[in-house]
Amino acid sequence: MRRLFALVSIVLPLVAQTPEAPAQVAETPSPVPSAESWLAGSIDVGYRWRTDVGGSLDTYRSIVNLGSGPKLLGADFTLADPQHRAFDQIHVRAYSWGDEPYQTIHLDAKKSKLYDFNADYRDIAYFDFLPSYADPLLGRGIVLNEQSFDTRRHLGSFQLDLLPGNWFIPYFAYDRDSGNGTGATTFVSDSNEFPVPNTLRDQTSLYRGGVRFELRRFHVTLEQGGTTFKDDQSVFQNPGQSPGAANFGNVATPIFGQRSDLTNLLAAYGVRGTSIYSKGLFTAEATPWLDLYGQFLYSQPDTNVHYQQTDTGNLLLQSQLIFYSSQQYLVSAAAKLPHTSGSLGAEIRPFSRVRIVQSWLTDRLHNSGSAASTQTLTSAGVSQQTAALLASSLMTNYSQEEIDVFYDATSKLTLRGGYRYVWGDASNAFLPPAGLMSSDQAKLRRNVGIGGVTFRPTQQITIRTDAEVASSGGSYFRTSLYNYQKIHAQARYQPFVSLNLTADFTLLDNNNPVPGVNYDYRSQQESLSLFWSPMGGKFGDFQGSYTRSTLHSDIGYLIPQTLQAQTSLYRDDAHTATALFNLKLPQVQGIAPKLSAGGSFFISSGSRATSYYQPLVTLWLPISKKVSLFADWRYYGYGEVLYLYEGFRANLVTAGLRFTR
Amino acid sequence: MIRCMRSIKLAVLLLIAAGLTTSGQGLPAGYVGSEICKICHEDIYNAFGKSPHQSVETAAKRGWMGRACESCHGPAQMHTESPSAATIRNPAKLAAAAADKICLTCHLNQPTHVGRLESSHAKDQVSCTSCHKVHANGPNGLVLRKPAEINEQCASCHTNVWAQFQRPNHHKLPEGAMSCVDCHNPHGSIRPAMAQSFAANEPGCLNCHGDKRGPFTFEHGPVRFEGCAACHEPHGSANPRMLVRQEVRIVCLECHASLPTLNTTGTIGVVPPAFHDLRSPRFQNCTVCHQKIHGSYVDRNLLR
Repeated sequence: MRRLFALVSIVLPLVAQTPEAPAQVAETPSPVPSAESWLAGSIDVGYRWRTDVGGSLDTYRSIVNLGSGPKLLGADFTLADPQHRAFDQIHVRAYSWGDEPYQTIHLDAKKSKLYDFNADYRDIAYFDFLPSYADPLLGRGIVLNEQSFDTRRHLGSFQLDLLPGNWFIPYFAYDRDSGNGTGATTFVSDSNEFPVPNTLRDQTSLYRGGVRFELRRFHVTLEQGGTTFKDDQSVFQNPGQSPGAANFGNVATPIFGQRSDLTNLLAAYGVRGTSIYSKGLFTAEATPWLDLYGQFLYSQPDTNVHYQQTDTGNLLLQSQLIFYSSQQYLVSAAAKLPHTSGSLGAEIRPFSRVRIVQSWLTDRLHNSGSAASTQTLTSAGVSQQTAALLASSLMTNYSQEEIDVFYDATSKLTLRGGYRYVWGDASNAFLPPAGLMSSDQAKLRRNVGIGGVTFRPTQQITIRTDAEVASSGGSYFRTSLYNYQKIHAQARYQPFVSLNLTADFTLLDNNNPVPGVNYDYRSQQESLSLFWSPMGGKFGDFQGSYTRSTLHSDIGYLIPQTLQAQTSLYRDDAHTATALFNLKLPQVQGIAPKLSAGGSFFISSGSRATSYYQPLVTLWLPISKKVSLFADWRYYGYGEVLYLYEGFRANLVTAGLRFTR
Repeated sequence: MIRCMRSIKLAVLLLIAAGLTTSGQGLPAGYVGSEICKICHEDIYNAFGKSPHQSVETAAKRGWMGRACESCHGPAQMHTESPSAATIRNPAKLAAAAADKICLTCHLNQPTHVGRLESSHAKDQVSCTSCHKVHANGPNGLVLRKPAEINEQCASCHTNVWAQFQRPNHHKLPEGAMSCVDCHNPHGSIRPAMAQSFAANEPGCLNCHGDKRGPFTFEHGPVRFEGCAACHEPHGSANPRMLVRQEVRIVCLECHASLPTLNTTGTIGVVPPAFHDLRSPRFQNCTVCHQKIHGSYVDRNLLR
């Protein structure tokens, strides 16, 4: 050792004094091992068995919707090209393929100093059929949810960033969101609603391109984009669909001695929309003590609509108290929604311990719409035509101004105080006036005091609190924030390297004492979570959390049919826990199995008392260096106190293999 | 043996530092270069080599060529002479603002930071390094990319929000189909709750729920004025369709309170009163008739 020490003592100063030393440092090759595999990652394939669902299959599908069959459960791999020809690397992640309710794939490809490409695709099943939801026929034993659907949404997103230089980055992107499927809805006539099937099909495409200038002292992003949108929805009932049994809708009692029914319906929406938008962002380090930020955003979506409806049956026109046998209703409509937003901000550091953050934000949205309609009613061979022209507008101008002062009292204590003023006005109007209210206006005026403390007495402890106290002189809606107090506190404690504890407290207390509103709202959550990894996770780890949340809301209203005062009460008292044990089991014949067990539960009492259990156990058996066997059991149990028939229970077992390279 | 190795390393450091100081080979005073750091921190050095930050070490234009470690940790000569935690700057142990200042030396002028001032992360002193790894997170970036991992990271602070996702009606985050950053921009945004936006300034919810975008000929005010969260709990709820109340009519009646026509409350939507008989099941779910509750293209009463 002494010899080595002596040798190093002699040689190294010589090397260090060599004039070419900096160049040698610069030419040092990347420490990335050159012998890395061109393909690295894993793929999980398996088969899932689902037991018969006990209880409501529709509710199970609405909430869980996992089924049986072969699955590609996950793939996560990186392709690297050592020659760096078309790409440096491609990273692919894919999850839950094989008739699953949410199938996703993501790809990142990049080549240094040339491009960065991201693609993302998701295929999501959107099924919702809860018997308790929107089903007035339920009392008559007819389970046909009138607001249900069975659709799939496809979301694609592609972005290419070009990297021709170090500070100039053009980019192009395309996003596509489409959905299609079937459902059940209602056809509404004057005195009755008829449950009818419908088909849904919509598509939005977003094209955008821009350029980012990223320089040392400032940055600017300019983006221009546009969208196209179409929504083709149809509602129908074919003649003779229910032979001998017309669709009598939700009203069973005769009106003027006649029962209304629907024998034929075709209603189709043809919605086409476009939009252009512009976006400008900047950041700048104006001086060493001043940073500036700003953005300007503008969009102007518009839509044009053609709606046509023909229906036959025995239907009532309530305003004229006549029954008619057929109707044709045509509407041409258009809407335009210019929307402008902007913000400016500055961070000023006048002293080493003081930071002042000033920001201003505005959001202005003005919608105008118009609709021209023609209605032709035929009754006993006589036709009556009515034309109407309607205009609508909806407008909001929202602004807020905020100043925050941060003071680093010590290196361990930061204090924050601030003030926010929020103001705005909103209106909603129809022409020609009809009914009791054709225009509505409201103002928003709110003063908010802000405070916060961040305290790190030691490296193991962090305490953060922030609070807002607000007083309002107006709000848009009865349930909006008005006079409120908001508190959030969090403490993190790491007594040992292996143990992390977090406690969290959130409170929102909102009151609106204006006569006619009398809103009293309070929500509160307390959480405790821990992560324990004894002996550096040698034998496993544990993570768990528990949250208690309560919500209390009282607000008055008048019962519509009697105009008697009533209070809407909403109560929710919930306990939620999640836990997961990961255990590394003793080796058996060279195989080191791993066991994970845990899950979550949610139990609530109050206005919609619910219980939901999701335990799981997973066993991993590495059978070779590159192949692991896994088996997974999950249980889903759902119950409601008021809607017992919506409960369900299901067991799912999955077994499969993970291939790793 | 270990002591002996430490002695050797210390001696090597001292000698190299001495050599560099006297060599006049271009490093500013007090700096020793990353190769010296590697001697003791080889694991970190190697991991750093796989991270995107490696360009700081290799690209001349950034001004830290060959001394990327010291671009964040400051001049390390004193640390090489007296290796201890006290003689080197460790951003992970600095106050958040001080740590962020180091990151923002290079990263301030990027589009991700435009909303920083509106970000509650910045206001609550959550530093960049709370979410970003600086030395390595593999070759795919300095931050987690897999939805399940992102969600786990966010949930480590936002425990109560994660609890909401355990409720039966929720967005599919626990299932790994979505991640928190699909809806929130952790760097800050112009929208409330650091929400993402769609097509410049439209709500990020429309990224997936494009059929609710409109513009509608007949809008429903709350959708535009207060967003989806006026009626929905976006994280999760025991109520169907993630509604904020147990039944649809309760959601509606809290605003449409059937008060007299003269709006005494100064708020929108209290009238017109609906003379529906709520005792009838037919009227207990308003959306049975007012099915276009998010806005209608053809009917001012949102019936079709």
